[in-house]
Amino acid sequence: MSKPSSSKPSSSSINRRGFLAAGAVAAGTVSMPWVAGAQAKTIKVGMPTILSGRVAQLGTSSRNAAQMEVEKVNAAGGLAGRPIELVIRDSKGQPQEAARVARELVNSDGCEILIDAEASTGAFAVHEVARDLGVLCIHTNSETSSLTADPKLRLPNAFRCARQGIHDSAVGGTYAAEIANARNLTRWATCSPDYAYGRDTTAEFVMYLKRFAPKVEVISEGWPKIFQPDYTETITKLLQAKPQALYSCLWGGDLTSFIDQASIYALFSQMQFYAVNMADYTALTVVKNLPAGIHSGNRYVKTFPATPQNAAWGDAYRAKYGEYPTNWAWQNGVVINFLAAAAKKADSADGKKLADALRGLKIDSPLGADGTITMRAEDQTIVGYAIGWGTTIAKEPYVPEMKSTPWQRIFELEAEWKKEKGFA
Amino acid sequence: MMRPAFRDALLGLTGFLVLAALPLVFVSSALIDFVIRCAALGLFATSLNLLVGYGGMVSFGHGLFFGMGAYSFGIIMQRTGMPIPLAILLSLGVAALVALVVGAICVRLKEIYFAFVTLAFQMLVHSMIIAWVPVTGGDQGLRGGIPRPPFLGINLADQKQLYLFAAALLIIGLLAMRHIVSSPFGYTLRMIRDNPVRAGFLGIDVYRTRLTAFVLAGMFASLGGVIMSLFVSGAYPEFAFWTMSGEAVFIVMLGGTVAFLGPMVGTVLLLLLNDFVTRVAEHHGLVLGIVILIFALGLRKGLLDFVMDWIEARRTRRGAASLVPAPSPERIAT
Amino acid sequence: MDLNALTECLVSASCMVTQVTSGFIIGMLLFLVAVGLTLIFGVMKIVNFTHGAFYMLGAYFAMTVFQFTNSYGLALLGAAVGACVIGVIVERLFMQRVYGGNVLMQLLVCYALVLILDDLVRIVWGPEFKAMGMPDAFRVPPLFIMGGVVPPFYLFLIAAALAMAIILGLAIARTRFGKTIRAAAHNPAMVSVLGINTGLLFTGVFALGCLLAGLAGGLAAPVRSLTPGMGFSILIESFIVTVIGGMGSILGALVGAVLLGLIRTFGALGFPLFTEALMYLAMAVVLIVKPSGLFGREAA
Repeated sequence: MSKPSSSKPSSSSINRRGFLAAGAVAAGTVSMPWVAGAQAKTIKVGMPTILSGRVAQLGTSSRNAAQMEVEKVNAAGGLAGRPIELVIRDSKGQPQEAARVARELVNSDGCEILIDAEASTGAFAVHEVARDLGVLCIHTNSETSSLTADPKLRLPNAFRCARQGIHDSAVGGTYAAEIANARNLTRWATCSPDYAYGRDTTAEFVMYLKRFAPKVEVISEGWPKIFQPDYTETITKLLQAKPQALYSCLWGGDLTSFIDQASIYALFSQMQFYAVNMADYTALTVVKNLPAGIHSGNRYVKTFPATPQNAAWGDAYRAKYGEYPTNWAWQNGVVINFLAAAAKKADSADGKKLADALRGLKIDSPLGADGTITMRAEDQTIVGYAIGWGTTIAKEPYVPEMKSTPWQRIFELEAEWKKEKGFA
Repeated sequence: MMRPAFRDALLGLTGFLVLAALPLVFVSSALIDFVIRCAALGLFATSLNLLVGYGGMVSFGHGLFFGMGAYSFGIIMQRTGMPIPLAILLSLGVAALVALVVGAICVRLKEIYFAFVTLAFQMLVHSMIIAWVPVTGGDQGLRGGIPRPPFLGINLADQKQLYLFAAALLIIGLLAMRHIVSSPFGYTLRMIRDNPVRAGFLGIDVYRTRLTAFVLAGMFASLGGVIMSLFVSGAYPEFAFWTMSGEAVFIVMLGGTVAFLGPMVGTVLLLLLNDFVTRVAEHHGLVLGIVILIFALGLRKGLLDFVMDWIEARRTRRGAASLVPAPSPERIAT
Repeated sequence: MDLNALTECLVSASCMVTQVTSGFIIGMLLFLVAVGLTLIFGVMKIVNFTHGAFYMLGAYFAMTVFQFTNSYGLALLGAAVGACVIGVIVERLFMQRVYGGNVLMQLLVCYALVLILDDLVRIVWGPEFKAMGMPDAFRVPPLFIMGGVVPPFYLFLIAAALAMAIILGLAIARTRFGKTIRAAAHNPAMVSVLGINTGLLFTGVFALGCLLAGLAGGLAAPVRSLTPGMGFSILIESFIVTVIGGMGSILGALVGAVLLGLIRTFGALGFPLFTEALMYLAMAVVLIVKPSGLFGREAA
């Protein structure tokens, strides 16, 4: 078991430092303003994430990747000479806990930066905390486009270092439409989890698909609940509808359950399957009999981008933690790289100066489509990360070839979408 | 009749003054946050105890009203920008109305059935919150923050003022509930709890009394929800999920159902436990579970009830000791 | 709402076959969990909130045994026996202390046990979701019955659960243990007066319930993803089943479970967005019309 040992660095360092500097922080209710003074050198970075419940695996991978990158940054001198100390807390995936933990990290633990490694609901709650406290906050796991796209929600001190639903859909829609046109796939069905992410992502995918393949018709929709254990009713409904292709943005254990259950109905021999969240090691390695030829977007695979740097990053992570990184992992690794680069540019670890430096910052990254990722200034979210679609095979490298869409094209599609939504 | 009410009011005022002085002594925003959360959950749990402890009605769906308060307040503030006190009153009204409808169906039922139907209604409302996206924001909750325009010189966007406001609401809420349980209505409620048939013979309208208690409890629960929505500046479907009801039941059990302040003690205990355990332990379920087991199997009742019984037992023992000669050591040994 | 799809299905034989069998698949697994819940309530008058945890344990035991032996039969045995053994331990150590006590205290103890069991699973098997994989014997194309699609594994699942239901029904009706259970459900004081060791009886009933829940977990393991806390949703649905069927009634559990399965499958066609709400609605309606449930005895 690699997990418990990997957790040690954070908790033990919190405890030891906390005790040495200020005595027992006891029940966590009394703040010690002098703690910050005693350790002016280290900069505390708070990280609320989900370490228990159904998505604990993703939260753990977020923590792992962030720690791996922090070690590198600290070895190189930290943020403007101040070593980073990550303070990681479990929100259990509840928004009110996420808000509480985030406030506590800033108010009583003295964190000067928040890396919000929450899923979407938690992220919106932490976003309000960032608004209240004015602390530099970077969302790393929420893919809900409106978080940064909606100008009403925008804050000067809040950024996002994560992929975005609208980007995924633009690429996926383009990719799927090409195949639909070539093979004359006109009857489509969708099966996605019934919550905001599932609904939005599916609607956006279908919008782009229909636009580039006008003959496409969606003849059946299934909306299972998130974390629903049994998909039989949705599967049989799909069998009745007899579509030629199926789109799904189920993810994690829900996706693998769906595949296992659909396989025994031989569903995948009857229709093409487009599952945007398939190409993630957590799902790829768990499904025992992965049907070949599932079309998927990239979450994280070490073969895309097909560069030695990316492969090395994936392998280094695996060597350290005993499993491959997840999509959440790369996002939380990259955010540390961004902070380091911003501190260098600003020659300071001050939140405001870092925020100024982050706007429009371009860094080298193995996860970039062209080896770089940019923090776009206008909406403070990352662009230029690797994004593509390909088909699966049952063993490593699972997705031998990914097709990417040029970012210039994604920008055009995104701009149109923003206009339609009234965001721009 | 006047005396205890006066004493309660005095205690309430003292409590408020102590809370108000707290931030002057300990300069800590974490402490302030903690008390605000205590106010929200404390009102919620105490209101549940109106049903559980005083009415003998174990509701598994009380979170419905907590969520109702948070959502109606949040939606009103986001859409109308009406003054905060008015919005709070309106939210309480909405909760009372819903409680009247739900209660009218539920309070006839007995024990476990009452529990399950309240749970069913809660889950219905929860799925409505999730499904009614244009109004509630669906599963993402009410986003974009809840506006807090200043009123009467009070600016709730300032955490310190929010703290005082929450403390005041808590004390007022507790006093009101205390008044309810020590009024003739409160005694009627307890009589029904202990023996509904006899109460019926005495000419008491059991149904109406229970329904009134249900509506009152719903209103105070929604007040807790309002405070929580002010604290997180939003409202989330989790507030109306069964886990919220579970937490309240848990708090009531932890603190005690007999003593009026039992749920308050439970709230502080649970929040301390939660904050501390999640901070230090990776497997907090395991730790929390063991602590609960120790409480449940060791004390067999809520903490405050246990303490009160213990004091009572000591007092009677003392009283007995002063009357009869002290028992000899041998007798104790045997 | 999509009432067209629903009416179209109701007149098509192939659709009916597919939907009805899938309703049974969901229902029969639910029955195995719910019947334990209802038995335990019937005899001990306790609402066993830990029951979902035994379903979870069953699934994990099945996966582990299957990994080592590659035999699904042994995996099912391991699931049932493993859950049963843990059930006995839990019952002896904790549950026995709360029988007949305060309902809320029982709830609290159950809640604590669920937290502990979930976390223990997390420590032993890890926090990530797992999949057991389909046994080779069932990795065959689905059957077509009157145009409807039925996977062989699900036929096996339904048959296994039905067999359990029949065995259970016969055992309760015919054996001494069964008669004692019925007597205890009816009048516990009388049973202990008759010199029957109620402590042992309670442990036996609890163990039986856990065995069935574990078996359900084992049957579900090849097709459902395994995570700590996976017992929760089936627990809630089992409650709905027992409430609809009547607390304490085995026949009620069977009818309630199948009813719920059918509500799910046909609800998915007609009301895809409100399938979940339909279940709660069904429960509320039954409770309001007949509070003791469809097959419940005492009037509430």
